[in-house]
Amino acid sequence: MLERLGQKLILRLELGPLVVSFDVVTVAMSLVVSLILIGIALWLRRDIPRDPEAPVGRKLAFLAGAFDFFHEQLLGGFSPELSRRLFPVITTLFLYVLFSNWISVVPKAESPTQNLNVTMGLALMVYGLSHYYAIRTKGARVHFRSYLEPYAFLLPMNMIGDFGRTLSHGFRLFGNIFGGAILTTIVLSLTAKVIAAIPLAAPFGLVFGVGLGTFLNAWFGVFIGAIQALVFALLASVYIRLMAT
Amino acid sequence: MNISGEHLVEAIKYLAAGIAMGLGAIGPAIGEGIAAAHALDGMARQPEMEGALLRTMIIGQAITESTGIYSLVVAIILLFVV
Repeated sequence: MLERLGQKLILRLELGPLVVSFDVVTVAMSLVVSLILIGIALWLRRDIPRDPEAPVGRKLAFLAGAFDFFHEQLLGGFSPELSRRLFPVITTLFLYVLFSNWISVVPKAESPTQNLNVTMGLALMVYGLSHYYAIRTKGARVHFRSYLEPYAFLLPMNMIGDFGRTLSHGFRLFGNIFGGAILTTIVLSLTAKVIAAIPLAAPFGLVFGVGLGTFLNAWFGVFIGAIQALVFALLASVYIRLMAT
Repeated sequence: MNISGEHLVEAIKYLAAGIAMGLGAIGPAIGEGIAAAHALDGMARQPEMEGALLRTMIIGQAITESTGIYSLVVAIILLFVV
């Protein structure tokens, strides 16, 4: 268990001079997460009545409550116009990261977010989006001139600030989820070794191991996973807002 | 028993990862505790501000955590890459 911690199953494709490598497990798990999200979305959508006068069902009430929550928590200080345009992006980001973190609770499953490439990809996407929305709301001239503020010679500082922000945005999610996964693995395998070393402890070992495993997964998978997903989506919305206004 | 340079590098690698993570965790832990304490102060004084305070606190703590995450990354690099 511990010996395989840093190893990965890599698919290498050589297309002439270009070498592309895929982490098979990560790609598969992120596809699974996407399928789960699409499935939940289709299931929730299925019996929403077309007639707006119809009585509100349970699913519709749940959706309305969830949308209100996302609107208030993730897009708190936005202008109404920008908030309406950003709502799908930020909410999708939140749900994708949330389910990516939560899927590690399933035995043998691995979070896509414990791969640095996934989290950095998401962070770079947010960085690109922040430039896009900044140019759309302020215009390219005003936006790129803001890099010369307050003085023109501070341009390198502004660029390093952008770089560090995106880097830490990606590393924060990766570090939290990967650190949690490592800690869960190490604590469980060390406990197994300690229990194996104590004579007559074997009958309690299974009960203790299952209890400890449940607690660690509940803490690192469910709780920290939810907090980090919220943090990731919140920071994404804050970064876009800082650029766009 | 003779200890070669490779063994020494291996041993110091693990030691360095432990030190990096242990010392790196102190700062963010204190910082996040201070942020949570002051947010609680604010919430106790103005319970109606709870939502906004909680959101700002989480953002602030997430940014405070960056330094801890950097030391975690250094520790991971020491363990798995070096």
